[in-house]
Amino acid sequence: MRPLYLTFHVYLAFVRKSFQKRMQYRVANLAGLATNFFFLLVHIFVYTAFYAASTEPQPLNLNEIITYFVLCQVSFMLMPFWGARSEVTQAIKDGSVALQLTKPVDFHTYWFADEYGRACYFLFMRGLPTFLISILFFDVTFPQHPTVLMAFALSMTLAIFMSTAITITIFSSAFWTLDTSGVSGMSGSVIMLFSGMLVPIALWPEWLAHIAEWLPFAGLIDVPFSIYLGKITGVGVWTAISKQMMWTLVFIGLGRFLLNRGFSRIVIQGG
Amino acid sequence: MHHLALYLHFVKLRIRSQMAYRLSFVFDLFSQASISVIDFFMIALLFNRFKELAGWSLWEVGFLYGMIGVCFAVAEMIGRGFDVFQNSVMRGDFDTILIRPLGTFFQVFSQDFLLRRVGRFSQAFIILLIANSQLTISWSFVKVGYLLVSLVSGTCFFIGLFVIGATSCFWTVQSIEIINIFTHGGTFMGGYPFSIYRCWFRHFFTFIVPLACVNYFPSLFLLEKVASSGVSSFGVYLAPFAGFLFLSITVLFWRWGVLHYQSTGH
Repeated sequence: MRPLYLTFHVYLAFVRKSFQKRMQYRVANLAGLATNFFFLLVHIFVYTAFYAASTEPQPLNLNEIITYFVLCQVSFMLMPFWGARSEVTQAIKDGSVALQLTKPVDFHTYWFADEYGRACYFLFMRGLPTFLISILFFDVTFPQHPTVLMAFALSMTLAIFMSTAITITIFSSAFWTLDTSGVSGMSGSVIMLFSGMLVPIALWPEWLAHIAEWLPFAGLIDVPFSIYLGKITGVGVWTAISKQMMWTLVFIGLGRFLLNRGFSRIVIQGG
Repeated sequence: MHHLALYLHFVKLRIRSQMAYRLSFVFDLFSQASISVIDFFMIALLFNRFKELAGWSLWEVGFLYGMIGVCFAVAEMIGRGFDVFQNSVMRGDFDTILIRPLGTFFQVFSQDFLLRRVGRFSQAFIILLIANSQLTISWSFVKVGYLLVSLVSGTCFFIGLFVIGATSCFWTVQSIEIINIFTHGGTFMGGYPFSIYRCWFRHFFTFIVPLACVNYFPSLFLLEKVASSGVSSFGVYLAPFAGFLFLSITVLFWRWGVLHYQSTGH
């Protein structure tokens, strides 16, 4: 096999294919958009009511909370909460992974490209419309300075990379369990909690926020959005981003290790 | 009676087949429960910071949350047949159902039974029990009856939503995903007091999709909040019947839909 960097265009083609594949489901995407918007609306109602009753100053004001949840819905589908739905798990279960194995590609990179294409699709076709519509209806705040926006873009890109790496790590477990719905369900809920998807970490009690700090998952949601809101500034931005980078590499390494182990013990199901 | 015996027999068969994958079953049970535990834990975190929500304390909200959770879990457990009905239409299996000497509604209803929802059910039920022990609800004969009627009605409401989703398959083949807003979204929004929502939103979820009638209004009565909420007490007495009415209407819709079924062929 040729080195990875020489065959980069091959994987880019996989990204594009994965993107195009999802373009088929337009109506489903519209329904998803409506669902995103519904949950956003309920979140905003809930927090507006909470803030109305409280007089104490909070770490995030209501506008910032609204912006946070808009961004949450924008990136909801890019996050690794959906491991079980991947067709890769299905491929391992029904044995069609055997066909994929005949391709002369690096598997981790191939699946990474596939998942990344999916993330790009949801970013542009689901996330972007959600954001644009939200601007019309709610008080969304914007970063004051272009450098903040750049830092956010970098951090968000890393978040998507990390999400992709985590997803592959989760469904690598299919080699051992065949049915990943349990594993991905449990990991999904832990990841969702500690990413800050449900409640911004700034509002958590200190002891719990401390645990989140030592886990990688805040890098998916809370870190990029805090950068966007200007809650992480200066050197803090660089520490946060390098932490994201480190964890992404860890998950890529772990995913590659699990895949290699999995392939060495694979028994193809069916025939 | 014959139908009931048949149904119980079917349920026994479904449970047996689901227990075949025991490890995956146990995993699923736990993941179901862990998702919902985290869900409520986050609500508790918010109350730790903000103390109250529109005059509702944590455990009053817990009561709402537990009630809607129990209804949804039971509905998913027994109404699963309608939830996955699109597969029958896509594969053309509905043809088989049509030639059997039993009602179509009964057959689809008895087609599946999702035992693993016990995980979600017990979590919601435990929250309901804790809420009850933390609040001082003066239980009377009427209140217990009212609660039971509300829970059954809430379950009917969610099954009604599944039926709408299934019926739409007669036209669209694939289930309309928009129904998820009302099922999953409904469980989510039903966990909070309705007074926090905007007027149009409240009216929609009272008169068109009667979510408030099976959860919020009953809780007002049981927690003795009717007077302070400004809702008419007559309406609160009638509210729980909305779930039954809703299911009845969807059954009519189902019957009408069956007439429009065109097989995707075998």
